[in-house]
Amino acid sequence: MVRRVLALTSGRIAVAVLAVIALLAVLGPWLAPQDPLATSDNTLAAASGAHWLGTDHLGRDVFSRLLDGSRVSVLGSLEVALVALVVGAIPGILSVYLGRVFEWITLRLADTLVALPFLLFAVAVIALLGNGLTQAMVVTGALVSPLFYRVARAATLSVARSPYVEAALVAGASTGWIIRRHVRVKVLPPIAVALAQTIGVGFVIVSSLTFLGIGVQPPQPTWGGLLASDLGYLSHRPWGPVTPALLIMVTVWACNLLADAIRDVSGEAGRALVNDRKARANRLAKGRPVSAGGAR
Amino acid sequence: MTTLSPNAAPERSPRTAPGPTDTPEDPPVLAVHDVRISDGVTDREIVHGVSFTLTPGKAVGIVGESGSGKTLTCRAVLGILPPHFEVTAGSVEITGTDITTLTPAQWTALRGTTISAVFQDPASYLNPSVKVGAQIAEVLRVKKGLKRREARHRAVALLRAVHLRDPELVYGQYPYELSGGMLQRVLIAAAVAAEPRALIADEATTALDVTVQAEILDLLAELREESGLALVVVSHDLAVVAQLCDEVLVMRQGEVVEHGPTHAVLHDPRHAYTRLLVAEHEQYGPDKFLDPEEAS
Amino acid sequence: MTTTVLRAVPGERRGAALARLRHTLGRVLGVLARSVAIFVPVFLVATFVTFALRSLSGLSPARIQLGEEATPEAIQRIEAQWGLDKPFLTQYWDWITGVLHGELGVSWVNGADISTLIGLGLGVSLSIATFALLIGVVVGFALGTLAALRPTTLIDRGITGLVTVISVMPPFVVGIVLVAVLAVGLGLFPSAGYVPAEAGTGPWLAHITLPALALSCDVVADVARQLRTGLVTARGENYVTGAVVRGLSPRRIFFGHILRNGIGPALATLGLKFPALVGASVVTEWIFGLQGFGRFANDSAQAGDVPAVQGVLVVSIVLVVSFNLIVNLVLARVTPASQRGV
Repeated sequence: MVRRVLALTSGRIAVAVLAVIALLAVLGPWLAPQDPLATSDNTLAAASGAHWLGTDHLGRDVFSRLLDGSRVSVLGSLEVALVALVVGAIPGILSVYLGRVFEWITLRLADTLVALPFLLFAVAVIALLGNGLTQAMVVTGALVSPLFYRVARAATLSVARSPYVEAALVAGASTGWIIRRHVRVKVLPPIAVALAQTIGVGFVIVSSLTFLGIGVQPPQPTWGGLLASDLGYLSHRPWGPVTPALLIMVTVWACNLLADAIRDVSGEAGRALVNDRKARANRLAKGRPVSAGGAR
Repeated sequence: MTTLSPNAAPERSPRTAPGPTDTPEDPPVLAVHDVRISDGVTDREIVHGVSFTLTPGKAVGIVGESGSGKTLTCRAVLGILPPHFEVTAGSVEITGTDITTLTPAQWTALRGTTISAVFQDPASYLNPSVKVGAQIAEVLRVKKGLKRREARHRAVALLRAVHLRDPELVYGQYPYELSGGMLQRVLIAAAVAAEPRALIADEATTALDVTVQAEILDLLAELREESGLALVVVSHDLAVVAQLCDEVLVMRQGEVVEHGPTHAVLHDPRHAYTRLLVAEHEQYGPDKFLDPEEAS
Repeated sequence: MTTTVLRAVPGERRGAALARLRHTLGRVLGVLARSVAIFVPVFLVATFVTFALRSLSGLSPARIQLGEEATPEAIQRIEAQWGLDKPFLTQYWDWITGVLHGELGVSWVNGADISTLIGLGLGVSLSIATFALLIGVVVGFALGTLAALRPTTLIDRGITGLVTVISVMPPFVVGIVLVAVLAVGLGLFPSAGYVPAEAGTGPWLAHITLPALALSCDVVADVARQLRTGLVTARGENYVTGAVVRGLSPRRIFFGHILRNGIGPALATLGLKFPALVGASVVTEWIFGLQGFGRFANDSAQAGDVPAVQGVLVVSIVLVVSFNLIVNLVLARVTPASQRGV
């Protein structure tokens, strides 16, 4: 599947962008040319050789703050996605096997969690349970987990109750073989799609929270925080919010792009894609016009 | 068998006398001449030349195993080939008009009023979200220009004409509330609502119980007798075709291996494959259909 | 076959009409019953979680009123005043009975009635959310339909690209851009504040347009995407072939058959988007300086005013669940088959 995703241009772009962002998160604090917390008299400076993206209202280097802040966003969104995966996918798979009571309870819980406005809840939880993005991200992850619950449940249902798995069982296939052969094809792609989407959602949530100044201590730089502080000085540095905003958008876009690429290469859609390409290639090779045979 | 004309066709326009008494000079409703169909994906020819003509009130049967190209032939005639399939050679004429010259608007005008079709798995061919009666009434309103009330009245009459019990109730039901046999009757009612001159029945009885299958075949025979409807009956079941048709094509792997009057094909099969089909029927099937008196 | 003629007596007509009525009524009741069956557990679980937040937070009104150096006796006295010394379940019971009567309690910070406080902000937030939904539905439907009508063409790809760009713009980014360009730069709209609708529709619309636009991006993108997928899927279904064979025109097939069945996912998405809209109001109201529901939630949370936060969450849950109920009823009307076996 990885190879097929990389065969798509969109898949390659998505993976490349996400890899760069991940590198920033790991190496950002060391790459930062200046101390992100060091203030100076040179406030609200325009971009220059010394300050690639200028300085903020306290004279701190914006580029360094961006690099330093990437870690919070990346870690936060990964946390949301992983918590959601664990909290959602496991009950989702089990709900098919553990009987009707468990199924009913988890279904209702999933309905409940979906009905809660998660940003509102995240704000409330951070404020009430004390500071720290970590708690908020765990809560947010739990709140977006119904996506994984539904996806995992639907995929498991389609595998567990499908005639071809029964046929494979009757034919004497081992459980391991069935899992390798069928589950990998049917269950993993939708979960991978959901994971990529959730990382994107996590980015938006982390950025929103840090934008509001919730969950982080003030001097600590974050992408959302940079955006918020730039907002107050629009008249001095009108282009200030552009870089953090673009970074957030590009990251979310790459996540969605990856999700779409995975969806495109798996299942029915994948087959249609391959067929389309082959048919076009054949027609081009023959130089044959499109016949009216398929007119609708 | 007298209920059909007064109920289903009160304002039917007079038409040439139907049935086997037709003279050979009658213009054919449908003329298929050496049609070849290719799959654009694999770039292989699937159907290698099918020819037959259908005059008013006649019935032509196409028999063959699944994958022999009989359904593709029907779809080509109806102008609804699946994506990537195209007619690469030969011609199809509907009431003298070559279908390659038809504009989409002309196609729309032609379907329903001149040629129509019913298929296997009738449930999927009806809109799941609209009451079945409304779907028949829609055809009447669009194709016959009936007012809302008239269309409703006629639709109920049609449902009665296809021998549905309690047509008033069925009118207001959704497809998922009806059984397969009832749905096939509804589908037939919708197909003949605009009084087409030819009806293609593509495996229309395949998934039904034997008794229901016999009833549907009776209904088709009745429609043919009452209104001079020409039939193309496609089936993998020789008995079905033998019961209804004057003329049979036997297809195998896209090739017409045998073509002639039903009586001749059944009693004096020339091709080995036809002999096999007939032999199987003599061995396993009720051989009363092989009786020449019944077949004609 | 003469039986069919004999059965066409007038009495049959009324019987069939009655049966049909019972049929329809049964379907509507079924949908309502299922929706309520989902609503009640959702409400109970959600309020319970909400209420448990206070115990987990360890916050107390005594801290807020007396400050850090309060004596344990004083704290105990105040907590007893608020009924916080009772067992947890009793507290929950008292609270939920109050909630069911529309009483959300009083604020720890200023003793004001929370229902009144929330009511004040709700007008602002609902105006904006409704307007955002409206924009989202109209624009999203237009884009999704257009893309589905011409799949894999330049139009489709253009719209898909546009939708992708829109979907990755978080509300606060759009909000900032709108403020910077349309309000500060061009001066077309007021950059902050709110005017109630009673003070004039023009000013009211002017004040809610920018926040609604900021919120609507997400809805536009999701509705357009879901609608496109739904329509493209529906287009490949057999009943479309059936309609083609019956000689219906492409336009009629699209509106009567494809749209009817392909609209389901987009509608369901609307139901799911509503919580996100309510949540995002926290951010947009901050940017646009609106004293709405989201702002109230944020302020109360920062102040540690637990009853106010609980009230906010309860109101948001009620909003979301009622909205979903409406969506479900519409869905049941549009695609009755999908309601079977839920």
